This record gives sequence, C-alpha cells and structure tokens, in this order.
Amino acid sequence: MTGEPTPPSAAPVRERLPRGDLVGARVATDFAAPLAASLDDDLTGYLRLEPGDALLGIGGSEAVITLESGVPVLAYDAGGDVDGPAALAALAGTTPVRVERYRLPADALDSLHDPTADGNDPFRVAPGAPARELAGDDALAERTREAAPAERRAAGGDHDALAAFLADEERVEAVRREARAEARARADEWGLGDQLAE
Amino acid sequence: MVEAFAVASGKGGTGKTTTTLALGMALARRYDVTVVDADTGMANLLFHAGLGDAPVTLQDLLAPDARDADGAAIDVHDACYDRHGMRVVPCGTSLAGFERSDPARLREVVAELAADTDVLLLDSPATLASKSAVLPIVLSDRVVVVTQPTIPALSDALKVQEYAASYGTGIAGVLFNKVRGDLGSVGTQAERYFEGPMLGSVPDSDAARAARDAGEPLLAHAPDSDAAEAYRAVAAGIDPEPNAAGDVADRFRSAVVPERP
Repeated sequence: MTGEPTPPSAAPVRERLPRGDLVGARVATDFAAPLAASLDDDLTGYLRLEPGDALLGIGGSEAVITLESGVPVLAYDAGGDVDGPAALAALAGTTPVRVERYRLPADALDSLHDPTADGNDPFRVAPGAPARELAGDDALAERTREAAPAERRAAGGDHDALAAFLADEERVEAVRREARAEARARADEWGLGDQLAE
Repeated sequence: MVEAFAVASGKGGTGKTTTTLALGMALARRYDVTVVDADTGMANLLFHAGLGDAPVTLQDLLAPDARDADGAAIDVHDACYDRHGMRVVPCGTSLAGFERSDPARLREVVAELAADTDVLLLDSPATLASKSAVLPIVLSDRVVVVTQPTIPALSDALKVQEYAASYGTGIAGVLFNKVRGDLGSVGTQAERYFEGPMLGSVPDSDAARAARDAGEPLLAHAPDSDAAEAYRAVAAGIDPEPNAAGDVADRFRSAVVPERP
C-alpha cells in the first residue's frame, strides 16, 4: 500500500455498488423484457447480467446496469473490464442472458449517480441506450428516454455505444465473417448455391 | 438502360419503405423510376403511397391466372400506378391474396417492369431468414443499405452487405436513417467496413411519421423538411449505372424460384 487510501467517491463504481435486495432472476432470450419490466416497476437498483457465454461456463463475465426509477444510469462489464457505452457494446448480441434484478433504497445510489462526482462519468450511458443497443427496441428506448430527468434527456451521447462497437475491429470482422458463412450455408439450404459469386 | 436496386436493412423499423419512396421520388427527377413493394409478406408500401384502395396490386399479379373484378385477365401494367412522378407497384395485404400468391411469378413481373424503366427500386423484406426475403438482394445489381445508428441495426446492415457480396451483388452505399443528434465519428468509422460509400444521414423526423399517417411519401408531404432535404442529398450520391434492359429482365426471368412464403 502506498499513499492515501482511495477516497470513496473516486473508487471505481463497481467497488462502490451496495448490495441490493434480489427481486427477481430469470434467463432472458433478449434484453427487452428485463429492461421493460424495470421501467414499468420504477425500479431503483441495478440489473446484474450474466451473458450466455458465461452461463455456459466459457466466459465467467458479468455486467451491471444501475437504474434510477427504471431508467438506466451507469453500466460496466466486469468481464471485458469496460465501462459505460463500451460495456453496452460488449454486451450487445450476448443473449441468452441471465438477469438478476436488485432493489436499493432510493438514496443508496445518490453518490454513484451524482454526475459531478469524480470517476462516475465513464460509466454513464444515455437513458435509452440499453434498450436501443441491447434490445434493438426503439419504442422502449423512447419510453425510457421520456422517463428520464430532463437534464439527462438532453445530455446526448446517443451514439457512444455504436462508436465503441465500431472501434473494435475484430468484433466487427467477426460479425462479417459469421454473416458470410451463414449466407453460404443458407444458399445451399435454399437451393441458391448456383447463384453464389465465385 | 436499367439498374435494379434492392433497398434493404436486415432489421425492421429502420424506415426502409419511407426511404424507398423518398429515393424513388428524388431519382425520378432525373430518371424513369419504378418502385416495387417486394416485401410480399409484410407489405406496407401501399399505405405510404396512398394506395390502400388500389384495385389491383402485386398480390393479384402473383396469383395464378389472375383476373380483375370483371373477369378479364390482368397484366403487370394494371398494378402500376403513376404517383409523384414515378411508377409505384404496391402489394396488397389480404390473407386470401397472400395464400393464393405464387412467389415464383415475382420473377416474371419484375422482368416485365425492368424492360420498361431506368431505375428499379425493390423495397425488400426486413429479414434475411428466408429464400423469398433474400431474393431481391440476389437479383438486384446493387443494394442501398439502410441502417439506424445502433449496434443491432448496424450488425444487420453488415449482414446484408455480406449476403450481397456472397451473391455478387454490389453495394450502392449505406444510409443512416432516423438519426438523433450528431452522428459524430460514427459515419466515418462505419465507412471503413462497407464496400460502398456513406450516402448520408437522415434525421429522425416527425415529418416522416406524419407523411406515413397521411398516406403520402415524405418528399410529397413535407418537401421542405430536413429529412426530405437529406434524402435528396442521398439520392444525388447514387449514380445508376446503365445495363441493357434485356439483361436485367432476363436475369429476373431466369432466376431461381423461391419457395412459398
């Protein structure tokens, strides 16, 4: 140990998240249902997410999205050790996902969600970003955005998760590679094999 | 000359039909344009084009031995409607019509249309999950890829590109639709992964929703809107390449027969 102990407000969000009361757990085939349920329930707390590869024992990763009155505020992906929009980019397309929903007292997240506190900013996501980027659900994203406080609705950052996804060349190339393989396999299955380009 | 474009997204909800009609209207200032609703399973172009009451649609043309209300045989031109400076071929939405339709006939219908136009725009199904759905991509010369600036939509747009490449179909370009705020670096970042140019970005617009509700293409309903202006700029970046009309028609005519949807 060297120097002063880390002040609580500057410690990474993942180390400062209080443990909440488990209110539900399920394996979801997409992210829309747990996000919609959290919004409908006005849930203040967090979602703990274990993506499919972790469920199969390959990854062991987990991610967290904190919520204030059902609206996502912060995200981190402990498996990929990435925060905020990059965490959403890492989670996108990882269904099925095990989702645990935890409730916390209304003020338990105040210091974590304080936009002026040191160290919180990299974890912040746009209110509708999880619904849009993980669930591909425009209507839910819009509903979530409208439920957010006015200052968060206006904060922008809507395209940060996509930018993080596009910065990951290997990830994008993997999508392309899998699509090429799928196209050729389906061409054979559909009797379109002779229409394929060389 | 004629060039056939598939307007495709892979993912639903990207505003593909709005885009097809907007590009059609913008290109119709320079070319003879025919727009076809090739999404026979989830047809909706007729509502966007104010053709909800069209007496004859593509659905009728796809029915074997199709006849009109008077019992006369119908032909392709009976389902063509001159609207907003272009030719529009809507598809009906009746279940009976859907069940009667033989998708194999789509080849012949499109082949006939291709023989008589400069630019053929096929509004494609929002999926890649069936043979019928990928057929517009297989048969077209190039694809206009429509995406929203989200990870799921862009992933599906990349899939469309790879399907097109697998069948030797080119990419006319990529269009970001329903864009909220500033795209920032996303357009440039995405361009690295697409074979065609970034055609532009169209802002999320209440005008597009209002146009749909009014049964008018966006460029007719709100020609001065930011979205309409953006679509015109996108269309200016698409240069149809001449093909012998007969070649395109023959390609469709001899194309593989899709299974029933």
